[in-house]
Amino acid sequence: MTDVLVIEKLNKAFGGIVVADDIDLTLKAGHVLGLIGPNGAGKTSLFNLVCGVVKPDSGRITLAGQSLEALPIRARARAGLARTWQNLRLFPSLTVLDNLMLGPTQYSADHLGDVLLRPATVARHEAEARERALSILERTGLQEIAQKPIQDITFGQQKLVGVARAMMNDAKCLLLDEPMAGVEGQAYALIQKAVRDIAASGVAICVVEHNVAFIRDLCDEGVFMFAGKVLARGTVETLIADPQLTELYFGT
Amino acid sequence: MDYIYTMIILIGLFVILAASFDLVIGHCGLISIAHPIFYAIGAYVSAMLAKEAGWPVPFAMLAGGLAALVSSILVALPSLRVSGDYLLIASIGFQLGLIELAKHIHSIGGAGGLTNIPSFLVAEHGRLAYVLLVVAVAVLTVLFVRWLAHGPYGRMMAALRDDELAFSMLGRNAIWLKVSVFAIGSGIAGLAGGLYAHYFRFLEPDQFGLLQSSAILTMVVVGGMRTTWGPVIGAIVLQILPQAITFLGLPPSVLGPLQGLLFSGLVLVFMFARPQGLIAASDIWSGRDAGGRPR
Repeated sequence: MTDVLVIEKLNKAFGGIVVADDIDLTLKAGHVLGLIGPNGAGKTSLFNLVCGVVKPDSGRITLAGQSLEALPIRARARAGLARTWQNLRLFPSLTVLDNLMLGPTQYSADHLGDVLLRPATVARHEAEARERALSILERTGLQEIAQKPIQDITFGQQKLVGVARAMMNDAKCLLLDEPMAGVEGQAYALIQKAVRDIAASGVAICVVEHNVAFIRDLCDEGVFMFAGKVLARGTVETLIADPQLTELYFGT
Repeated sequence: MDYIYTMIILIGLFVILAASFDLVIGHCGLISIAHPIFYAIGAYVSAMLAKEAGWPVPFAMLAGGLAALVSSILVALPSLRVSGDYLLIASIGFQLGLIELAKHIHSIGGAGGLTNIPSFLVAEHGRLAYVLLVVAVAVLTVLFVRWLAHGPYGRMMAALRDDELAFSMLGRNAIWLKVSVFAIGSGIAGLAGGLYAHYFRFLEPDQFGLLQSSAILTMVVVGGMRTTWGPVIGAIVLQILPQAITFLGLPPSVLGPLQGLLFSGLVLVFMFARPQGLIAASDIWSGRDAGGRPR
């Protein structure tokens, strides 16, 4: 399996609080890696460092051979990085379909020149984006609610829309921040299926999740983080079985 | 009749200003109230090019719009790179600073004002021709803003307003979008400035100050942000209201402050009683082909 995202010697501290302590991590194509650890272990901070929301103190991040450190958030996304957010961050002023339509790497109105002078190009990109968004909505079981505003759908559906929106740009690497928190029933099964399908298409996936059953079902491998450090890497079963890690996770 | 024509021209100019300002503050959510300074730049550049350099007025007007557009990019680019909030401070500083500067430049008339600006259309074709020109530009501006806001560009503006971080994480360029919208809005204001200059043929720096900022803001807020008709209704109502109180026969020393009170009072009343304005925008963005009709 090819390495997609490679993190080397990544360090970040906010004042005295270390959120990334010499982290080395590799995500492979078609592979789902679970990030496990108690709150404050640095899991979401690691995502923020990879996405460019937070600048690292030192270290290297490469995506498919391309160095990311100097790039702004938007350029990292265009290089093939996608993520979902713990607190969703959907666009409440837009319908489900319009949320997705903003996602393609090449958006119809990225260039003002096109908007003003080349309506045919814009219309073509719009039609392509719509078709792609509708097909993703169908695959994720959301086609019925495509035209609904975000506040009119259930929380589980909103989580799923977040995943669907992250699928729009043909990402090479997808970071999922607690996709299952607060989700149950039908949406749970749909999110599980969506993540499996994305992995099967060759995308490297990293999941932060506290739902152990979900992690065990879905992840090829797990990483245990604590206080900004990667403490252990292995199958999810062995990590869960490790009494020392369990103690760190639950505290004593 | 001349009075009516002049009123229609003023209303038309404020429709252009309010609609272009709504693009900036309503549709894109950029907090700035310095719209009149770009109106001023357009007016002065156009007037000077026609008066001193002998340019044909239509070209001078277009150049005025272009000058406003370029200067707005120079103001917006550094402040928007830092954070959206800095735009308000930077643009007000630019507005008030430039007004003070203009008062001390004698070649553009200084504080006394720029006089004898070449007229356009009125001498050969009468005032009605100028009315038609201004109304045409106003209609085109309203239609252009509506078209932009309800196409794929409008979808971007709605998303940017909602969540800039999520917007950037989709690969979209938030800074460039903000600078572009600010430049388009300011460029249109500059064009309106040229239309003002060659009709009234007199400009003074003080008329482009904070009172005018509050007038345009009031028009957008009272009319209804992010609607096609809001800025139009707002411009008409707020142009006619102050004119109506001039018939009360109050002395000018009372009338000026009274108009200021009227504008600020209306904004306060509307913020409490009807924050959506006279015409309410839909909470959910609707595109041209999404089935929802833009309001």
